[in-house]
Amino acid sequence: MSDPPVTPRWRILLTPRWLGWHLFAVVAVAGMIWLGDWQLRRALAGNTLSWAYTFEWPIFAIFGVVFWAKTIKDELRPALKGDNQAPDIVLPGGRDPSRAGQSDFGRSGQSGQGDGDEAAVRDPDSRDPADQELAEYNAYLARLSDEVRRHGRWHGLR
Amino acid sequence: VNSDRQLLLVVRAYRALAYLTGTVLIVLCFVGIPLQVIAGNLVIVKYVGTAHGILYIIYVVVAFVMTRMVRMKVASPGTVIVLLAGTVPVLTFVVERWVTRTYINPALAAAGQAKTPATVAR
Repeated sequence: MSDPPVTPRWRILLTPRWLGWHLFAVVAVAGMIWLGDWQLRRALAGNTLSWAYTFEWPIFAIFGVVFWAKTIKDELRPALKGDNQAPDIVLPGGRDPSRAGQSDFGRSGQSGQGDGDEAAVRDPDSRDPADQELAEYNAYLARLSDEVRRHGRWHGLR
Repeated sequence: VNSDRQLLLVVRAYRALAYLTGTVLIVLCFVGIPLQVIAGNLVIVKYVGTAHGILYIIYVVVAFVMTRMVRMKVASPGTVIVLLAGTVPVLTFVVERWVTRTYINPALAAAGQAKTPATVAR
């Protein structure tokens, strides 16, 4: 195909996969509203406990809409920000050099670039809690980076 | 720094709610429902059930905010499991540990909380 670069980003929401999710969202929300109505009828018929569910289901329905909206917002975000994607980061042992400056990565002036540090990254069962922590942190960065790369877009906060 | 404190606050609220909701649900399922079925006693189901309903609503909202702050994807299995955990007995405890290990601790470390190991090392 020759036109993908020109296709507006929102068109992704019309792919069969997304249409399926839209349908699911609509059915789920409608179902929750129906359940709320059912509980209301039960409550009016004298079941006191049903009053709680009468209010609970509509709240879940609202949350379902919020969840759906956030998912779409997540999906479309890169289009708003343009193509300032993070560069392809190579993470040997889960390292992320691009984060070194802005975060506490390598906070340990102590752990430096020593071999012990590398070993800790490879061995999550390392006894030293600081190394363990670093290994977990590296795994986290690797996971976030991987998620971004696999989907070709950034799923971040806001 | 402000957002770091916000993260810590949300994480604490999430943990408190995960444990509270989980405990209430265990009482409901393993005490309340047997009492209802065997003894026909509805008292626990009625009050604890309502309490769990209300707690779960708060749990869902707080847990959702938490997943956003530690940068979990919205429509991902992890996020969905975190949100639904509040309705499955015992699951909140397991899931809380998993999220702490894989997302919360690293996010806290990134936010600079790692300087106080007590908040990270559990």
